[in-house]
Amino acid sequence: MHEELESRLREALRPTTPPPDFAARVMARVVPTQRRRATAAWWLAAGLAAAVLIAVGVQSHLKQQRDIQAGMEARREVMQALRVTNQKFDLAVRTVHEAPGV
Amino acid sequence: MSIFPKTAAAPLLAVAVTAAATSLAAGTLAPGIGTASGVASPVVTVPSAQLVLPDFSALAAKATDSVNITLDGSLLHLAAGFLNSKDPEDAATLEAIKGLQGIYVRSFTFDTDAAYREADIDGVRRQLSAPGWTRLIQTRSRKTHADVDIYMMTVNGKALGLALIASEARQFTIVNIVGAIDLDKLRKLEGQFGVPKLDLSSQKSSGP
Amino acid sequence: MLVRAQQRAVYSLALRMLVRSDVAEDLAHEVFMQLYAKLDSIESSGHLVFWLRKVTTHRAIDQLRQRARVETSSLDEVADVGAHDEGDPLWQQRLRQLVLQLSPDARAVMTLRYQEDWDPTEIAALLDMPVNSVKSHLKRSLDTLRQKLSGETCTKS
Repeated sequence: MHEELESRLREALRPTTPPPDFAARVMARVVPTQRRRATAAWWLAAGLAAAVLIAVGVQSHLKQQRDIQAGMEARREVMQALRVTNQKFDLAVRTVHEAPGV
Repeated sequence: MSIFPKTAAAPLLAVAVTAAATSLAAGTLAPGIGTASGVASPVVTVPSAQLVLPDFSALAAKATDSVNITLDGSLLHLAAGFLNSKDPEDAATLEAIKGLQGIYVRSFTFDTDAAYREADIDGVRRQLSAPGWTRLIQTRSRKTHADVDIYMMTVNGKALGLALIASEARQFTIVNIVGAIDLDKLRKLEGQFGVPKLDLSSQKSSGP
Repeated sequence: MLVRAQQRAVYSLALRMLVRSDVAEDLAHEVFMQLYAKLDSIESSGHLVFWLRKVTTHRAIDQLRQRARVETSSLDEVADVGAHDEGDPLWQQRLRQLVLQLSPDARAVMTLRYQEDWDPTEIAALLDMPVNSVKSHLKRSLDTLRQKLSGETCTKS
């Protein structure tokens, strides 16, 4: 019974489309802010670049973080792929069993 | 008893199921490079179970949801490192992907019927008529407008890969699994990840 | 481009948590503003997906907790949920209403599970919550929904 409820929940909670021009309204708010930050961000980035070049340990830490992110993402994709595969297998089996005389 | 009211009995469905057939080796023989003794040695070409999937970016732009997964051997190996063998769900997943060289999924969902054409998938279907591929299941449902075809590639009785094409009114899905896929282990995952375990007994029961 | 690719998921997550489309849209805007400020720290597409959902969910939970301190939830707000997805069967609207009656944490867990299809381990990482707590929320929420739906079905029959 949980399985049917879960299936219904997936249907009921499927993503809904945002209002029209949502993206345009976001960008309208983002762009002016970006221009103000551009100069400050440039100086900040220049300072950070110098610090990173000196501190090699920071580089390897970042790489480690990226590797973990990549691994988690790969894990998630494997599970999603197998889930989709099983859903479609179920669709085929359900169709077979719905046929008269089966 | 289900908490949801049952709908009326479904109309007749059109279903065709092709039983699985054992496939013999489908390798090709070609003249090989001559050996030191001057005798040509045959070169056996083993077919590849990896399909060439089209660029679906135009359809992706129209879709409300897209799933685009490309996991080659190195990514599968990476993913395996992040699966916990002590967790039952992770352990079953590890078993299912053992020996695989790739998993590729393309799935697109649309807001309206007929948003994609069969011609968009025909290129993939044509590859599945190549030697080595055997269709295990073909289902056609007039009720749900869902067609599912599942193929297996076997050489010398050994599974080399699987392909699945599910074509529905508002969604199509292509799955290609490359490697020694074990269907038993794959189906053991049914009922996990939130995929409901298929319960066929309730579909035959009479009304509430 | 970034906004278009992710707007549906972010907006939906906010809407399922906060009910009102205007409030959800405001939250989604703020999340994207924050994203653009922190763009340099995003390391991959997977990181982006994770970051957006984490920030959206945490901010929504914070808003709900603040709202709970100020006022009790309005039944009219909950009833408004169905208006966002016109044409949906009544049972879908009812399910969404029942999910909105869950606590903020349970609501977040259920939405991430059934809208985003995330598994308990990923939800735990996103919500900074133990995996067992996520599984408890899922089990209790499903039991609650089932009980409420069963009660309604029995009443009607």
